[in-house]
Amino acid sequence: MSDPSSETTVGSIEVDGKNLNFTAGETILEVTRRHGAVSGEPCKIPTLCYDERLDPFGGCRMCVVELEGSHNPVASCARAAEDGMVIRSSTEAVEKHRKTLLEMVCSENRQVDVDPLSGYASQELKELADRYDARSGRFAGKKSGKSREDDPNPFILRDYDQCISCYRCVRVCAEQEGDYAISVKGRGFDTQITVEFDGHLKDSACTFCGQCVQTCPTGALADRKALRHTEVPGEIEKTRTICTYCGVGCSVDILTKGDSMVGVQPAMDGPANHGALCVKGQFAYDFVQHDERLKTPMIRGEDGELHPTSWDVALDKAAQGFLDARDKHGRHSVYAVASGRAPHEAGYTTQKFIRSGFWSNHIDNCSRA
Amino acid sequence: MPLPTDQDLVTDWKSRPAPLLPLLHAFNDRDGYLSDEALRAVSQGLRIPLADLFGTVTFYHHFSRFPPGTNAPRVCTGQVCRFAGGLELLETMRKDGATPMPCAGRCDEPVPVLTGRSVQVGVTVGEFESRPSPLPVANPGGLEECVFAAIRNPGNDTLEGYRRAGGYSGYEGALGSDPENLLTVITDSGLAGRGGAGFPTGVKWRAVREALNPRPGDDTRAGPKSVVCNADEGEPGCFKDRVLMDHDPHAVLEGMALAGYAAGAEIGFIYLRYEYPETADILDRAITEAENAGLLGENILGSGFSFRIHVRRGAGAYICGEEGSLLNSLEGKHPFPRERPPFPVTHGFENRPTVVNNVETLASAAAIARRGAEWYRGLGAGDLAGTKIISLSGDIMRPGNYEVPFGFPLQTLLNDWAGGPRPGRHIQAVTMAGISGGFLAKEDLDVTLDEPSVRSKGSMLGAGGIMVFDDSRDMLEVAHSCMEFFAHESCGKCFPCRIGTQRLTERLAGAAGPGVLAGWSDEVEDIGSVMKATSACGLGMAAPLITESLMRYFPEQVAAHVEATNS
Repeated sequence: MSDPSSETTVGSIEVDGKNLNFTAGETILEVTRRHGAVSGEPCKIPTLCYDERLDPFGGCRMCVVELEGSHNPVASCARAAEDGMVIRSSTEAVEKHRKTLLEMVCSENRQVDVDPLSGYASQELKELADRYDARSGRFAGKKSGKSREDDPNPFILRDYDQCISCYRCVRVCAEQEGDYAISVKGRGFDTQITVEFDGHLKDSACTFCGQCVQTCPTGALADRKALRHTEVPGEIEKTRTICTYCGVGCSVDILTKGDSMVGVQPAMDGPANHGALCVKGQFAYDFVQHDERLKTPMIRGEDGELHPTSWDVALDKAAQGFLDARDKHGRHSVYAVASGRAPHEAGYTTQKFIRSGFWSNHIDNCSRA
Repeated sequence: MPLPTDQDLVTDWKSRPAPLLPLLHAFNDRDGYLSDEALRAVSQGLRIPLADLFGTVTFYHHFSRFPPGTNAPRVCTGQVCRFAGGLELLETMRKDGATPMPCAGRCDEPVPVLTGRSVQVGVTVGEFESRPSPLPVANPGGLEECVFAAIRNPGNDTLEGYRRAGGYSGYEGALGSDPENLLTVITDSGLAGRGGAGFPTGVKWRAVREALNPRPGDDTRAGPKSVVCNADEGEPGCFKDRVLMDHDPHAVLEGMALAGYAAGAEIGFIYLRYEYPETADILDRAITEAENAGLLGENILGSGFSFRIHVRRGAGAYICGEEGSLLNSLEGKHPFPRERPPFPVTHGFENRPTVVNNVETLASAAAIARRGAEWYRGLGAGDLAGTKIISLSGDIMRPGNYEVPFGFPLQTLLNDWAGGPRPGRHIQAVTMAGISGGFLAKEDLDVTLDEPSVRSKGSMLGAGGIMVFDDSRDMLEVAHSCMEFFAHESCGKCFPCRIGTQRLTERLAGAAGPGVLAGWSDEVEDIGSVMKATSACGLGMAAPLITESLMRYFPEQVAAHVEATNS
């Protein structure tokens, strides 16, 4: 979110009496949000099918706004700003439509409340339902969506009773991940989110990156591992850090309750990942609190068993091992293979260590294999 | 001859324009259904992700994933066919694997049954027959016609027959002069979209002609451009495009070629609804005739203009008559409507400028190019330009297609031209725009057939399908079957339509909703209002006209229905 005055603006639109400049290709919603972030009066246009990382879709129609000269309200997420547009974002009529839409959406789901551990965006429907007082029970009828009882993957819970067919999962899988694992089956009220041939996720093109989980606004797709911790007492706290798995440097928020780590969510504003993660960064964090996790260096003793020791002792022992090997077998007996997940700096340090420490040029990187 | 292999089929289609639907049809024609292996072959051959392809295939009513697939009969259970015994026929044929299909566009005939690539009509098993589309009767008012003027001539469906009535002379004339002249004639004629939207045809053609590349500062014309003939006639109660294509196919081709010349397009597609398989054959034959005569192809008649037309069959999806969905379908994408703007005139087929016109519009354009703008304008009543085909069906003595001048009184069409209701009955209500305009009843039946008049009653003329219901019909039942159709055809993209059509159907069925009239009406009105205001396309905007008009004209029947639901 940069200062709009520093952008190359091509015109301005009037939203609720304020003139907002816009850049080429910006939609009404984008303009309003960008200015809101700068002015400190956040944009109040509600959305459900919108994820700022994805192409505009215009499915939920929650973001409709009145546009002067247009017979019907327009979807602000999909309508490009044009110079001179006059927009009213929250008239009584528009707010009424939003409430009706939310009441209709609530009527197709089993429940509105879901545990926040379900996923990053999982509270979106709940928050809007509260804001618009939409749990009226109106528009009762058939529920939509159906889940397969057998879905043996350990990561992603698919509870389609809670699905509202916003297609964010389908779109994030295609547009962000390029996996195209998720698709839309059937049509109308019988629309069902699924994968090829209605199979299991694990037999599909899914890479379990968890992007679908994190963009789902209802918890229909949820983080199965995080949900193991729903009973852990305490508020969820988020701590921003960098994923340690590889050199990309994805920003993540570590979710904790008290001293327990209960989940990982991608940072939507992470400069390296913009909310993307892979299966490891998303789901492979069990080692942190694992009973068998190594917490101190270990040295194998004369008894053949590993014994805890200090870093100084361990490093001396390792250095001595290297030196012994070099003295006995020559400098080319030592070589290094740097980790492909390590950043440039670590790769540089590795070759420096081997070249100037042992006078060996036997260095490589596992990514070359 | 051995059956073609998967690879043969893929190789045959993969380099041709808009290959997905015809390739799927090729597998379907070979196997009767679309197997996992077929989808894998198509996915690989056309480089479409398998999950995407699977989802897209399941969107279409007539694609089947399992045998017997298309070899099992589909029986029309549209609104009019229900009166003719469609539901009973379906039950009788269930043992043969029969399944229902929504209105198949033959409301002027007995119940159609579609099996494979053959349509038969009848009401009794063992007495079915295949027959050509019924021709319109001679104009009952003796009025001059535009698109039906030559349609009853024997042999009019051949190039020779079409030429005898002056066919292709307008096109030949146009090719010899600047496209600007043609654009002027079409614009001056007042011709507007006959599929229901009523957008001025000349303006549309010109917009495509003049569309520029979207890059800032680039004032070169965008291309390549296309002409798409919307022949997806899926609106219940509409069967006008079928009669035009079946008996006057060259008029449609000539109209497309004219649009291509005017707009600067070199390729044309006819997107034809699945339920008209014999029409596909007729169009293919006509295209071959026109190509052989040098009227289509490269450097036509030495003019330097090249134009080719391809027929692409749909696969059973009403929404594909919506131009954004149609274009997505043609491109092999999931057939959701597109957000507008941008419009197809700049971002159409493959995101390039595209003319999308209805069959009747194009056939009219051919006549206008031949006979002139003044002539066409003069066909309408008063200030209104031109004519409209009305497909009339239901409880009326002489159902069929009638070409009327714009501004023609509805009562005259119903009672004088079409013989009125059955003896002893009176007309309780009619639908407008197929079913998309909801119902007209009582004193509002005094409208004239033009948009200003029909819209003043909260309805629309649209594509011109009118179904008649006499006083023996339960209007709640009729409204329910109409809404059930919309729910079945809702694409599922936007919330108001996806949920709204379902909830309205449940309320009209008495299956859910408040059991008190005030509460029931509140819910139905709120759903209708949000659908009309916020739906992403015309389907969701039009569907609530059914409940709106039902509540307006038949409040007692609605009250009795809610009362009965409550008990």
